[in-house]
Amino acid sequence: MAYSDKVLDHYNNPRNVGSLDKADQNVGTGIVGAPECGDVMKLQIKVNDATGIIDEAKFKTFGCGSAIASSSLATEWLKGKTVDEAMAIKNTDIVNELSLPPVKIHCSVLAEDAIKAAINDYKAKGSTRKPAAGVEA
Amino acid sequence: MRYYEALGLEPRLALDAGDLQKRFYDRSRQWHPDRFSTRPAAEQRTALEMTALINDAFRTLRDPAARAEYVLSENGLEASAQRGKDVPADLLEEVLELNMALEEADGAQVARSLGQFESMLAGVDGQLAGLFAAWDAAPSAGRLEPVRAALNRRKYIANLVRDARKTLETARET
Repeated sequence: MAYSDKVLDHYNNPRNVGSLDKADQNVGTGIVGAPECGDVMKLQIKVNDATGIIDEAKFKTFGCGSAIASSSLATEWLKGKTVDEAMAIKNTDIVNELSLPPVKIHCSVLAEDAIKAAINDYKAKGSTRKPAAGVEA
Repeated sequence: MRYYEALGLEPRLALDAGDLQKRFYDRSRQWHPDRFSTRPAAEQRTALEMTALINDAFRTLRDPAARAEYVLSENGLEASAQRGKDVPADLLEEVLELNMALEEADGAQVARSLGQFESMLAGVDGQLAGLFAAWDAAPSAGRLEPVRAALNRRKYIANLVRDARKTLETARET
């Protein structure tokens, strides 16, 4: 099966590979997997408390080229977005951007799941997060 | 379930490899297209279809993991229907850690990791054998779900074994 140029580009030059501090109150971590192929994907976001904007996004994916490309693209898209805007990213957006064939659509689903899991983890930390500067608790 | 019927078997998760092979040979001979070369076209077609079915059935049922996947999909528990959230988070974290360790490991560490993964795989296979026996004794949906969970885990560990072997081979070649 031939990968699209965009998939190959992300696969050969993955953006934002790495890890953020999981314990950081402003970091949300999502780890998801696809048992049919044995892929595992970790996606992390770091949100600026004052602006509500995602400053940093990192990923680590062990899986096929499409899974790596989907998560690499996702981190590119996440940076600069608000949490709500990020929540609106759909797997179909990733499919269209990367021209993923039908058998690889589940890779984009995995990336969407990872985004949502990371955001949910960030939101769940909200109750213990320090309030933004200038706001009294 | 067609694959079991094709080989004259009751739908059981635990199968005897020798018996399975004997059934495969017997039925392959029985339906061999050469034996139907002078028969009417409809019978020739049936022989071809039966031969194809018997081949598929044997290829699937002889491998315990593939056999269990078949039984699960026939019962609406196929792997592709499992969304990421159905995989336990601690398993995913463990797999991620193991993959990262593998990525950074030197040759000796990879060899050690491979041994560790292989014994984990043997452990899952042992667990599967127990789950197979439990389902065979009293088939129920509730007894298939743990099989699904064990197979998911097996898939991840089998990939780790594959990747560790590949890493060792590449290291040997360079």
